[in-house]
Parts: sequence; C-alpha cells; structure tokens
Amino acid sequence: MSRTLRWGLGLLLIGSLAIGAFVLLPFRSWLPGGTVADVPNSQVVNGTAFNRLFPEPDTGEQLVFTQEKRGFSEARLKRGDRVKALLAISDVTTAPAARSKFKASKSQLQGWPLVEQGAQATALLVADRFQVKVIAQGEGLDVEQRHALIGAFDLQGLAALQPGGAPRAALEPSHRDLPILEPAA
Amino acid sequence: MSTVLERLDRLPRRNLTVLAIKGLSTLVPGGWHNITSADELIADVMGSNDPELISQVRARADELSKARHEGYGRALSLYDAVNRSQKAAGGLRVLANIGGALPLVKRVANLTPTSDTLQAVDLSLKVAAEMLAFTQVNGLPGDSFGDFAAALNEYAGEARVRMAALICFDALLPLGDQALERLDTLLGKAGKGDLRQLPAYAGMASMLPGRGDDAHLSFLRRGVDQWLGWAGGFTGQLALSGQKAVRALETTLGPWQGGFDQMATFLDAFTDTYQHTGVQAVARRLVERAAAEI
Repeated sequence: MSRTLRWGLGLLLIGSLAIGAFVLLPFRSWLPGGTVADVPNSQVVNGTAFNRLFPEPDTGEQLVFTQEKRGFSEARLKRGDRVKALLAISDVTTAPAARSKFKASKSQLQGWPLVEQGAQATALLVADRFQVKVIAQGEGLDVEQRHALIGAFDLQGLAALQPGGAPRAALEPSHRDLPILEPAA
Repeated sequence: MSTVLERLDRLPRRNLTVLAIKGLSTLVPGGWHNITSADELIADVMGSNDPELISQVRARADELSKARHEGYGRALSLYDAVNRSQKAAGGLRVLANIGGALPLVKRVANLTPTSDTLQAVDLSLKVAAEMLAFTQVNGLPGDSFGDFAAALNEYAGEARVRMAALICFDALLPLGDQALERLDTLLGKAGKGDLRQLPAYAGMASMLPGRGDDAHLSFLRRGVDQWLGWAGGFTGQLALSGQKAVRALETTLGPWQGGFDQMATFLDAFTDTYQHTGVQAVARRLVERAAAEI
C-alpha cells in the first residue's frame, strides 16, 4: 500500500468519525442512560397526575409542592415555618427494587400493603404500581399519625390512574377476568 | 462523571469558602450547617441511622443523578459554569490590582473587566443560572402558578444563606448599597459585547431560552426583574448592606482594610461559595427524592 493511500485512508476514517459524531449529537437524548433505569419516559406516569391526589392540609398547615418529575411528585407539609413531613407519590416502574420490601409486609391500609422504613418513614404500595410515602421531619410524627396522613391521600384515585404504555396491557386481562369471576351478577 | 453525592462528599470541611459562608451566615437567622457527608444528609432526611436504609437511598440517588433527563447533573454543570467564570474574572481583577502597581504590566490592568455593567451582567447570569437550576432539579411543581411561586419561595427560604451570599458578594459589595435599585439601569446599558466577555455565558448559552444574544439578554433582564422583588424584600428584612457583610466576614476571615469592591474581587477569585452551596442544595433535594422512592 502506498504511503499516500495510507494517509488518505487514515484521514477518511477520521473525517467520517467526526461527521458521524456530529450527526448523532442531536440524538443524544435518545441514547441509553438518559432516563432512570433506562425505562422510556412514556411508560412512566407523569408527576402532574399525582398532585391532585395529595391530602388537603388541616387548618394552620400548608402543603408546599417541592418537586415534580416523571413518575414522581413531592410536597412538604408545613406548620408555620416548621416542616412536619415530606409527602411523596412515586411510580415504582423505574425502581422495581422498591416493590420487594412490600412482599414481607404484614400490615395493610385500605387493602394495600404497608411498610415501616426506620423510625420516621412509612410506605404504601397502591395497585402494585404507585408508592405513597410519608417521611416525618424534625420532631417527627408517630406511627398512627403517619398512617392517618397516608390514609388522607386519594388512594382510590391513585389506583384508578391509567398508566401509559406496556403496564396498561398488563392490567387489561385482569379487568377482563372480572366478569368471569362473578358471572351474571 | 461523578455523581451529586460523590461531589458532596468531596466538599471541603474547612477552607476559605467555608469560612466566608460561615461569616456571612451570622447575618441570616437559622444559620448554616456545612454538610459535607452524604450519609449524614441521608440520615438527617430519613430520621434514621440504619446503614441498610442509608445505602439503599444512596444507591437510588446515584442512579437518579446519572440519568441525564432528571436534571440533577445538569444543575451542577450550571453552577460549575458560573463558578469558572467568576474565578476567571476575579483572577484577572486580582492581577490588575497587583499589576496596577507595576509599570510593565500596567496594560493588563486596562484589559480587565471591572465596569459596573459587566458586574451587573454577571449577577444576572447567576440569577438566571439559579432559576434554570431550580427547574432542572425540581421540575415545575404544583398545578397552578401559585403552587409554583410557593415552591420557589420554599426553595429560596431553604437556600437563605446562599441567597444572602449572592446578594452580598455579587451585588452589595461590588456595586454598592443601592445595587438592587441600580441593577435594571445597569442591565439596560449592557450590550452583546458585555455578555460575550463573560466566560459563564458560553457555558450557559445553550441552556438559556431564546436564540441569539439579544434574546438571551432580554431573558436575563426579565429574570432579574422577577428576582429583584424577592431580593429587595429579603435585603430589607435582614437589613443587609456592604458594611454589614464585611463586618460579618471579618468574624471568620480576620480584619479587612481594603475597599468593598476589593473584598468582592478577593471573594470572587479565591472562594467557590456559589458552587459549594449549590452542590449542597441539589444534594438535599436529590436525597429527599431518593428517600421517597426506595
């Protein structure tokens, strides 16, 4: 191979790599690693849907929304300047590991499994899909107060949320099963 | 690229930056606690010292900060861009101060960006970075504009020391006590050239809404207008002034004999207050989310 040909091939290779990189740049957001656990955003329920399901604050208390992302919404329950608790709803599609702790759960709230995490946090798994969590801050809340707070969420509304994408397909058969379980009711 | 919590763990426990913030925090009720340990932060949020829980939260937080769309990493790169620019500009001004005394390097002194306009543009970039970082980290919380405003206020309240540092170090010290009132006029005088001179602009331009320098400049002005209302109230409430800021800083940094603007230059060149408190603010929000998701 002649010297010029080698140089030419080398330059061609470098040039094509550079052009390839330039062409791919706008598609960076489609490359893996952009979303949590590489789950496509379309399969995760948007946090906006969760906002209206948060409990109404008591008089003298305030609910301040602090974060809203795909599959997540969080608010602070405040009394005056003091933060009493963090309230959050999340879609466990991006965090499958979060589901496993509910398997060992013995207690239930409105039929959904309930788990205590440490001395200050309580979690509830609704419809095997949405995690509702109350984390007490500062002086804290006792277990009953946390359970009452979780019960004040619109849990039925949360269970009825229509998840988009693949999980919806997984839910449909169970709906179709219902008439078979209770024939001609 | 390191994750948010790794950056938090690497923050200095005691250096000039920490001392400067500590000094300033004496002006702000509630004070400031220099959190430099991710485990400590997680334990604080969760209210539990269970190592199993802490490692779960940590793993989740790392996963979240690696996902580009979640914005936590992007917020940090905004703070980094602003910090780099501040250091570069501050360094040049320090050189100018030294250079002014030596005839040979006097020309450097003429090159340095010291004008009030430039300082005002720099401040507006920082305010814009703050707003962009807020939406990157928190999304657009709530269903109404009122909810969003409440979320912003909540964030600003949590970051009180950080906001006080922004107001004192970047407005009151370099521009004088009337800085907030003068800011709009100063920004009105700013042109594309002033914007281009700031290294932070190059790093942030792609994240600012609108196309072209003119659109960016008007975005910056509008952003600052929004912020001024809040900052004015905050300054009045704490009665902040350049004099008070210097006195507060003297409690930790030792006596200062120079002028206010020299103090500002010194802080710009040798401290990373903005980045330091930025990492801490992002880390807290990230941990609050991770704790809710595990």
